[in-house]
Amino acid sequence: MTAPVIMVNDLTKTYDGVVAVKDLTFSLERGESFGLLGPNGAGKTTTINMISGLLKPTSGTVQINGISMIDQPLQAKINLGLVPQEFALYPALSGRENLTFFGRLYGLWGQTLKKRIAYVLHMVRLSGRGGMSVSTYSNGMKRRLNLAIGLLHDPAVIILDEPTVGVDAHSRHAIIRSLEDLAASGKTILFCTHHLWEAETFCSRVVIMDSGKIVADGTPSRLIQEFGSGLIRLDIAPPVPDELLNNLKRLGAFHYPSETAVRFQFASAEPNRDLESVLSLSAGLQVSVRAVQLLEPTLETVFLNLTGRSVRD
Amino acid sequence: MGFTAYRQIAAIAIKELTLLLKDLQALALLFAMPVFFILIMSFALQGVFESGTKDRPIEILLVNQDAGRMADLITKDMASFNGLKIVKEIDGKPISRDVAERFVKERKWAASIIFDQDFSQSISEYAVSAGAGIPRVWMLIDPATNSQFLAPVQAAVKAIVERRVMMFRQMERFSHRFSEMGMPPLNQLIDQEDSFSLAQGHGCRLEVIFPHGVPLNARPTATEQNVPAYTIFGVFFIVLPLATGFIREKQDGSFQRILAAPISKCTLLIGKLLPYYLLNLIQTGLMFTVGWVLFNIQLGQISALIMLSLALAACANGLGLMVAALGKTEAQIGALGVFFAIVLSALGGMMVPAFVMPEIMQTISWFTPHAWALSGYHDIMLRGLGVDEVWKQTILLLSFGGFFFVIALWRFRFTE
Repeated sequence: MTAPVIMVNDLTKTYDGVVAVKDLTFSLERGESFGLLGPNGAGKTTTINMISGLLKPTSGTVQINGISMIDQPLQAKINLGLVPQEFALYPALSGRENLTFFGRLYGLWGQTLKKRIAYVLHMVRLSGRGGMSVSTYSNGMKRRLNLAIGLLHDPAVIILDEPTVGVDAHSRHAIIRSLEDLAASGKTILFCTHHLWEAETFCSRVVIMDSGKIVADGTPSRLIQEFGSGLIRLDIAPPVPDELLNNLKRLGAFHYPSETAVRFQFASAEPNRDLESVLSLSAGLQVSVRAVQLLEPTLETVFLNLTGRSVRD
Repeated sequence: MGFTAYRQIAAIAIKELTLLLKDLQALALLFAMPVFFILIMSFALQGVFESGTKDRPIEILLVNQDAGRMADLITKDMASFNGLKIVKEIDGKPISRDVAERFVKERKWAASIIFDQDFSQSISEYAVSAGAGIPRVWMLIDPATNSQFLAPVQAAVKAIVERRVMMFRQMERFSHRFSEMGMPPLNQLIDQEDSFSLAQGHGCRLEVIFPHGVPLNARPTATEQNVPAYTIFGVFFIVLPLATGFIREKQDGSFQRILAAPISKCTLLIGKLLPYYLLNLIQTGLMFTVGWVLFNIQLGQISALIMLSLALAACANGLGLMVAALGKTEAQIGALGVFFAIVLSALGGMMVPAFVMPEIMQTISWFTPHAWALSGYHDIMLRGLGVDEVWKQTILLLSFGGFFFVIALWRFRFTE
């Protein structure tokens, strides 16, 4: 068995006494596609920043390819490619000029740099657009260029923070395809996303974080099997009587208004039984149920079960 | 324009105001800046508007070596002139030429008037002999003194001296004629200190000289005085683009991305500052070249000029980094940048010469790098000094720069 590419041990970060990440321990093998999931404020970005060497941990260790990020950050960073959530680009420069700048930071010059730029532009499907000013790029193109910069120096580990936020379906598809190609070539990918279906289809392993701690760790299929449950979605015409509201809350439902109804959503281990009880109560209270959906267990339902919140909360 | 449009305008205005109110520090600077300007510029310009008045006379050192009494009489005339104050003694002792040279060179006084030992005698000879030369009075000035300030002083001094010389000359001529006619000498009939004037024509020559060691051809032109001052002013304006560049990169995440690369923070800062440093040097070189080519200004010792310019650019970059470290938003950086670039320039004597400022402002001006840079450039260009003398200003500029860097590195946050 080879040594882990990323090894995180008892990683903790506190800000003015507030714990953001607590005793985080996990490791990633070579070629793993690892999804880091969690609601806002769960500590995902703090974790990514500590792994990338941008933030000093309060305690604990991070090793990239056996090199300590705390003791030898410059050596450890050579193995990392970071794709931040922000468009960390220079709009006044062309895509190729942006790549040239970041490539040089990693010690790439001359023909090697030119070849790598051509390769990554091809990989993110921007080959014909490299000479254009980034200010003329669409959000999707910027996201792809963002990814290309992270891949430029051919790192062993690629860390992506929400790489598909705010892009159209075409660009999202292009990004996911690029990531699949990378995973197939043996790169280790740490992927942080709000789009759970992306994690479910792309990641070989996911970790769910909540309040700075890991609450689940495993392959998507194992987590769905272990923690997943049916997801029930009901659209009820307002006003919703208190009795029904309390009953739904007891079942763990959260609600939000839709155009003509109040939408309730909750995960259930026994969806048929719970649905029947809600529907009979609604009928008894003469409440109009506009729509009912019974969804299959997914990472979304796992997430809901484990954190009590939707990933977009 | 319909009602909806007005509501939209209101909504946008409210949003803008809310954003402004959220950045209280920037808002405070916005108000503090004009207040500082009013205070500082009013104090600094007080000298320009009030110098040469009764309340704020121009001080001139007197070096009286005259064996006769003419210099005394002229000095009394000068003392009665509202806009001038004649300093006859320092620490209870009459002022020698060496002492005057030292004080003028050190810019403690802007000018000194010197009467030679044979001044009275030369007037006597001039009064009766057509072949005698015009009496001379020496005016010792610092070559870096603003000529606009000195011109009226010179004119006033010359007028007072001429008046007295011409009066004496006419009286001597009358006396000579009266004695030929067997009448008593005129000075027994008329008190010489009476203020009537018989003066007309050229009574004396006022020779402008510089302290010892300064080339006699070192009389500065307006360009020679302005080029260094406005170069320094311009160099410190690098603070704005430099600091704004930092905050933009921090906000758009590219700064973090750079830090995720195998690069030390020190390397990052050097890489960021280097282009601005070079820009400052090019800017300085261009300013002096324009002055030299178009206005034929004297540049002095080039090696000293380069040495001082290198230190000046380092200092300006340090200030830029400090502003980048202290400002949390682009608005704050804009306000801080303008504040430091303009207020320090005003205090440092870039807009008005420091010597016309009140004494307290003159003292404060030495706490700005601008004043030391200007003093250095004047030493090189106008006083003909070189590396041996200008190293002091260079060290001081580097110390200012070092101080700014220390504050910057202490307060700088690499991550937001």
